[in-house]
Amino acid sequence: MKLRIMNKISTLILHNLKKAKGQYLSFGVFICLTAFIINIALVLAFQTFNAYDSLFDRLDTADVNFIIPQIQDHKDLLAEVEKIDGVLFVEKHGGVFMPVTVREFAGSDFDMNTVFYNLDEERTLNRLDVTEYSGKGDSSVSIPMYMRALGGFAEGGSITYSIDGREHTYDIGGVVQEMQYGNYGTGLIGGYFPGAVYEDFALEYRDHVIAEYSLKISSTADLSAIKNTISKMLKETGIALLNINDRDTAKQTRTMVCTLLIVIFLALDAIILAVSIFLSNFRIRSAIEDELAQMGVLKAIGYTSHMIIASAVMPYILVGIVSTAIGIALSYAVLPFVADILAIQSGFSYTPDFDIMALLIVILTLTCAISLFSYLSAGKIHRLEPINAIRGITGNESAGQNILLFIVSFGIMVLLSFAGTLLYNVNVKPDHFMNTLSEELPSVIFTAEDGKMTELKELLENDSRVRLFMEYASVSVSYEDGGLTAFVCEDFSKATNDICYEGYSPVKENEIAVGNAISDGFPIGSEIELTVGSKSASYIVTGYIQSVNNAGLVCQLTSEGYEKIGDTTNCVNIYLYDKIADEFINEYEENHDAIIQSSVNFEQMSENGRRMYTSIVSVIVMILFIISVLVVLLVMYVIINSMISRRRQEFGIYKAIGYTNRQLTVKTALTFIPVVAAASAISVITGLWYLPAINNVIFSLIGAIKNHFEVSVWILIAFAMMFTAVAFGISVLLSAPIKKITAYSLLKE
Amino acid sequence: MNKQTVISAKHLKKAFGKDESIQVIYSDLNIDIYKGDFTVIMGSSGAGKSTLMYSLSGMDKPDGGEIYFDGTDITKLNNDRLAVFRRKQCGFVFQQIYLIDKMNLMDNVVTAGVLTSKDREEIKNRAKELFSLVNIPENTWRKTSSQISGGEAQRAGIVRAVINSPNVLFADEPTGALNSANSGAVLDVFTSLHQKGQSIVMVTHDKKSALRGNRILYIKDGKIFGECDLGKFEQDNIERTEKLDQFVKEMGW
Repeated sequence: MKLRIMNKISTLILHNLKKAKGQYLSFGVFICLTAFIINIALVLAFQTFNAYDSLFDRLDTADVNFIIPQIQDHKDLLAEVEKIDGVLFVEKHGGVFMPVTVREFAGSDFDMNTVFYNLDEERTLNRLDVTEYSGKGDSSVSIPMYMRALGGFAEGGSITYSIDGREHTYDIGGVVQEMQYGNYGTGLIGGYFPGAVYEDFALEYRDHVIAEYSLKISSTADLSAIKNTISKMLKETGIALLNINDRDTAKQTRTMVCTLLIVIFLALDAIILAVSIFLSNFRIRSAIEDELAQMGVLKAIGYTSHMIIASAVMPYILVGIVSTAIGIALSYAVLPFVADILAIQSGFSYTPDFDIMALLIVILTLTCAISLFSYLSAGKIHRLEPINAIRGITGNESAGQNILLFIVSFGIMVLLSFAGTLLYNVNVKPDHFMNTLSEELPSVIFTAEDGKMTELKELLENDSRVRLFMEYASVSVSYEDGGLTAFVCEDFSKATNDICYEGYSPVKENEIAVGNAISDGFPIGSEIELTVGSKSASYIVTGYIQSVNNAGLVCQLTSEGYEKIGDTTNCVNIYLYDKIADEFINEYEENHDAIIQSSVNFEQMSENGRRMYTSIVSVIVMILFIISVLVVLLVMYVIINSMISRRRQEFGIYKAIGYTNRQLTVKTALTFIPVVAAASAISVITGLWYLPAINNVIFSLIGAIKNHFEVSVWILIAFAMMFTAVAFGISVLLSAPIKKITAYSLLKE
Repeated sequence: MNKQTVISAKHLKKAFGKDESIQVIYSDLNIDIYKGDFTVIMGSSGAGKSTLMYSLSGMDKPDGGEIYFDGTDITKLNNDRLAVFRRKQCGFVFQQIYLIDKMNLMDNVVTAGVLTSKDREEIKNRAKELFSLVNIPENTWRKTSSQISGGEAQRAGIVRAVINSPNVLFADEPTGALNSANSGAVLDVFTSLHQKGQSIVMVTHDKKSALRGNRILYIKDGKIFGECDLGKFEQDNIERTEKLDQFVKEMGW
């Protein structure tokens, strides 16, 4: 029955397709774009996390790892850990754990807590996937993929670690893919020596040798409960917990940008799909208006409403299916590059495969959306009496092109404003962007020699290049469920980046602000006990701080507060007026060698971080810009084309009475400007409200609950003016077919 | 000889507008259309000629009354059943022609033909015969309506109207938009179809067109005001013209 109907209307469908090729092409481009983006988002969503899990499983990565000083390790501990409920298997590895400065990490020094392992050690858990291993052997180190992707190191080159003032340079023998740490955000990173090199290194740094316990737990076991049990067990036996990490927090940290990208892509997709549906809706309604008499004739000669609706809707469905297939195919050409960009942050790579589930979802979603909304738009045909149609009576309002244009313009301005704000905060006000994604951003960090802090502070006090300095350090502490990175500061009111999103930073020695990862467990006013080595103290929670690094496992303590459990920190954050960190460090190291133990060019580190995010943000912004221009172009095309076709006679009359092509083209283009300008103006005004809200929603997903983005009204105004001008330019170009209309040809028609 | 009634409409009512602005077109109109007749409906502007024709053909619904078309009361049919009824029973020729623009003449005809036949080749062969009958040469079949004259377009419109061999061919001022030469050619097609036995109902205010019919009905004051039988005169007979002139004069034309 359906086939018979299809056979009857096939001529009409083909005719409709041929008649409005341009309109269907523009619709097809939209759907192609929608399918392209949605497929990228879905493949990333389905495969990145699966690829992560798959590599995690393939390398038999432990669910929980904890590190203790080897000197405190004892033979009974292994048995005790094995006895913990839910633990299936425990394996012990050796290592050397210490804070390390990596020289020339993307052109700068880079501080990170590092565990050096013996590459030759037999491993059942936390196995290593060493790629590009050249077998250089004796004096080499294998580095994690993150250091290659972001740090710029590569096999065949060399790497220098600065440890306690000593420099160690190694050939880079290979790149290691592992799922235990992976990137800076996880708070620890690995280094992998061949057996002989490791033995020498461990001997040299015997005080830093650790025992790492890696645990495989049952799928039903409670990860937090097990971590909690371990922490308590170690505390009771007086063993220092240097670090504890688990699979969930590592995964969340390493897939942060991927999650962000998926959210942005899906949001973008919803906008484009809405525009596509608006367009098809607009086009169908216009077609009904334009071809009213012909529809009446079709009804007169015996076509039922269903057949006419089907002939109007089917071309959209066919074009939709073909365009979706093309969009999906194109997405697979781009996905490897997207995966490479993500590898910079995630520290693991994979090649996206064809995904049948994504394919089905994209095709079904788009086809259903197109069918449903086209059918609803064409539903008006049901109510059309053939005689009224022939007489040109629709009984309804016009197609509402101004409403469509307003909505699309507003939507595009939202996209452009978001993209512009992102770009502005990464490039023009990088501190705002970096402050959102990090903690303090000094120019230089000096570590003073023991007992030399006062002397160093006097020097800084009298240095006119120094805008601000304060004692500030990042140290490791433990709480009942594991490790935390504590930001220790002499006075948080001096801090330049207020990362406290609720409550306030600690002021007194018994106060603490805790990170977003543990905020749920510690209401403001409650107490948390911290431990360093054998010392413990309780602190009152005064507020919550955010951190997208360290999986949100962070806290703030005053210097006095930290000294209750730990040694005095000798670090000073120095904020300079100008970007002269390199020169500043050289001068201090040269002239005050006895005071300065070590230094970090944080200006360069921030720049590296900014560069990484800039590359990712640039890709996102570029996509948003291209999509915006395409959307404007296509929407204008559909509207102008439809308008020219409807007002042919009017244009012919204008020409007959002496209007020039140029006058008519500009006149037509100008008719759209008030709507576009109004949408842009409203977008600028409301942008001041909605942009912070959008930023809040998106960035809170990755742990930046409070973002420091500046929404520049001037940027919004500039974008609004630019958008209006581009819309006018596009309208003038698209109005060109008016030239082809002649008064004579209209008479002839 | 008794004529076979193909359409019988009783007590038809039709009005436009509401309340004070209501315009009653007819309030109790009765009419029969006979098989094989070339019925012409005449009347002054606004008398309701087209409205009546579109009611009789199921294109428009009357406000009251019954219309029996080949025994079926079409006022009781819903829109979809009316569409099926029209495709089987009716053919339409419009004043503005209304060929589907940008679709060639052959496809315009096939678009109507596929509604009653599954065999496209059969439809095309019949279309070719009809194109020949209305004098549209083969090299024009693939042209669109904007590439041909109005007369050719209207003749193609007639081919589309009769492709499904309708019981009744309805024509609404079919020469209204044509010049004299083209009008003649189109009217010749109607005459030729009538001679082959096609029932035709044509609305016109043009006496030249009306002369082609054998039965002339005049609508006035919402009723069939008068009827004139031209069937007994030959097409070119001067008496046929005189009879019609006299009739329309009596009707107050």
